[in-house]
Amino acid sequence: MFKNIVFTIITIIFALIANAQTASTGMEEESNIYEKLFDVPLHVNDGQQIAFSTLYHQKPLLVALIFTRCSGICSPFLLQLKDNVQLKPDDKSFQILVISFDPRDDLEDMGVMARKFGLENDPQWVFAVTDSIEQLNHSIGFHPVWDSESDQFDHDALLVGINGEGYITKKLIGIRKRHDLDLLISSVNNVFSPTYRLPSKNSLFSCFNYDPKTGKNTPGLGLLFIALPAVLTVLLLIFISRVVHNRLPD
Amino acid sequence: MESIKLRKITSVWILAVFVLFIVSIILGILMRLNQGGVINQNPVTFYANMTTHGLTMIGIWFVAGMAAINYLMERYVKTSYTVNLIALVLTVIGVLMFWVSTFIGKFHAAWTFLYPLPFKLLGAESWSTLLFLLALTIFGIGWLIWSVSLMTQILRKYSISQAFAWQHFKKNPSVDTPPFILISMITLIGVIASLLAAVVLLALLFAEYFSNGSFVNDALLMKNLTYFFGHTIANEMLYLGLAVIYELFSEVSGRPKWKTTWYVALAWNCTLVFILTAFFHHLYMDFVQPEGFQIIGQMASYLASLPAAGVTVFSVLIAVYRTKMKWTLTNLLFFIGVAGWVIGGLGAVIDATISNNVVLHNTLWVPAHFHTYNAMGNVLFSIGFFYWFSTQFAENIKPERFTKWTLATLLIGGAGFLLAFYYGGADSIPRRYSVYPAELSIGAPWAVVGAIFATVYLIAILVFFYNISKRCLKILSSPS
Repeated sequence: MFKNIVFTIITIIFALIANAQTASTGMEEESNIYEKLFDVPLHVNDGQQIAFSTLYHQKPLLVALIFTRCSGICSPFLLQLKDNVQLKPDDKSFQILVISFDPRDDLEDMGVMARKFGLENDPQWVFAVTDSIEQLNHSIGFHPVWDSESDQFDHDALLVGINGEGYITKKLIGIRKRHDLDLLISSVNNVFSPTYRLPSKNSLFSCFNYDPKTGKNTPGLGLLFIALPAVLTVLLLIFISRVVHNRLPD
Repeated sequence: MESIKLRKITSVWILAVFVLFIVSIILGILMRLNQGGVINQNPVTFYANMTTHGLTMIGIWFVAGMAAINYLMERYVKTSYTVNLIALVLTVIGVLMFWVSTFIGKFHAAWTFLYPLPFKLLGAESWSTLLFLLALTIFGIGWLIWSVSLMTQILRKYSISQAFAWQHFKKNPSVDTPPFILISMITLIGVIASLLAAVVLLALLFAEYFSNGSFVNDALLMKNLTYFFGHTIANEMLYLGLAVIYELFSEVSGRPKWKTTWYVALAWNCTLVFILTAFFHHLYMDFVQPEGFQIIGQMASYLASLPAAGVTVFSVLIAVYRTKMKWTLTNLLFFIGVAGWVIGGLGAVIDATISNNVVLHNTLWVPAHFHTYNAMGNVLFSIGFFYWFSTQFAENIKPERFTKWTLATLLIGGAGFLLAFYYGGADSIPRRYSVYPAELSIGAPWAVVGAIFATVYLIAILVFFYNISKRCLKILSSPS
């Protein structure tokens, strides 16, 4: 009997851990926010090797994670970023670091990419590779998955804001409008920018559940939690009163 | 009558509260000096100090009230020394863990630790959040056991309806419920509800902490629970002080003991019901909160505080108006404390009015009002009790020199310190800024003024500490 209980408990614990490790939060833009970036060594386009921290200490960074052999999102993503940045010619409060997460990429590949976008001589743009991409990806919360059939990475188009102290202040996933980029730039310069969390299956106890189809809110389980302490107190009061008075002699 | 063990443990509570109070005042002064530009603290240090200051103050004045009612309750029912001791030990452990989380771990999410701040701390050690949550758990366990134990002891002697003095709604009640028992019972119910809210809140925070992202909380739910716990316990600790006043004010003044009447019973039963929903006034700016809750928040804020304040002020005024009474430091502190409680309470009710909150929300008005009813209200209730307690077992009590001067220093320091907050609030200076930007530069001189007067207040507290603690140490060293 005892062994069965122990076995059941261990199974449940492992199942929970496994679930925790595999479950997607559906909130990738919120993961790793305000965590410090792993300080990896970078090989930058002029051939120098510098620490990541040297770059963000010079100026806050917008970090774009791409790979040069991408046949999908990377090129339109960089193009949109370039267009958005060009709409802010006077704002030199940040630098843009384009870094490859593909270990096959080298500085030459990155140089070709920089020339393709006409950014090779723009001092605001830095193209780089690193030998420690795993640690960098981990510290950012970026998880590209290699797909051997298509010979491509399955990945998000991720732009990460890093402030002057090396903290991740905001993330943008996908090709975004200029307004979102403005918020990202504000965040790396330590100016308040609002953030929000989308509803997800992992939020079990919401006070209200929003239905995007009808546009209506319906009361959720969370409302019961607000009433719970008062209800428990009343039950406790009645329980104790009954117990102590039943024990007392007549 | 109370045991010697109870005297000794009450002395330990008093000494511990005083020491932690003095450290917390110093942290507060440092914060105001930083806001005034006199010193330059790292923002993380500032907010870690703010967190330590806030939670320590809430904690110590809660346990001070609990220790006082535990001591006085022995007049009516037997209380458990063991539970009192457990609460003391767990409080000390909790304080040590909490201070390590803030002073060393740099946890700095404020004493309200509003979600998701504990998980998003810039510049804090990664372990500090867990340690902070564990410290809260330790406090919660100790205080919940203590509160439930005291409530149980009341229920051993009184039925539920008698403990709430419902029989006083009729003429000629068969059983007389002393006001001390009524207020203690009503307060303990609120304390237990708030601590159970903390249990739910902590369970949800731990669940998210250990879920590795597979479980996330709803910010609106967490804010509601945070203020259910935080607002309620901050108010209930005031009521603990009022229970002491109802018991001791007439006694130390040489007047007949106060009795429960129908309006006293009604007022405090209103407090019982409405204090549990008054916290909704902390969510006026949360547009997703249903409008009905906001209206309940405003109504409950009035109904929880005004009737209780009305009957208490009426009782105190009746007791002193054109009456020959013996003024001692204890009843003077009680009297001034009631005035501070009422002034701060009015400030709170003004802020709890939705149309005013639009202007005053998160300005220095907020610390202005809660420092008024704490620093010049609840603190004085407790120090009044401490002084009375310390003199109970001392032989040849001589009138202390400089008592009038000490009291005057306390009043001047307290009033100046509070006015600096009120003027800042009236100038729309936001609270919780470590330094004021150029647009809010008017906040800096007020902060310096506040720091100077807070130092004056601290001097008076040090004098009280010296006089009371030397007698408490004698009680501790007396033979068992």
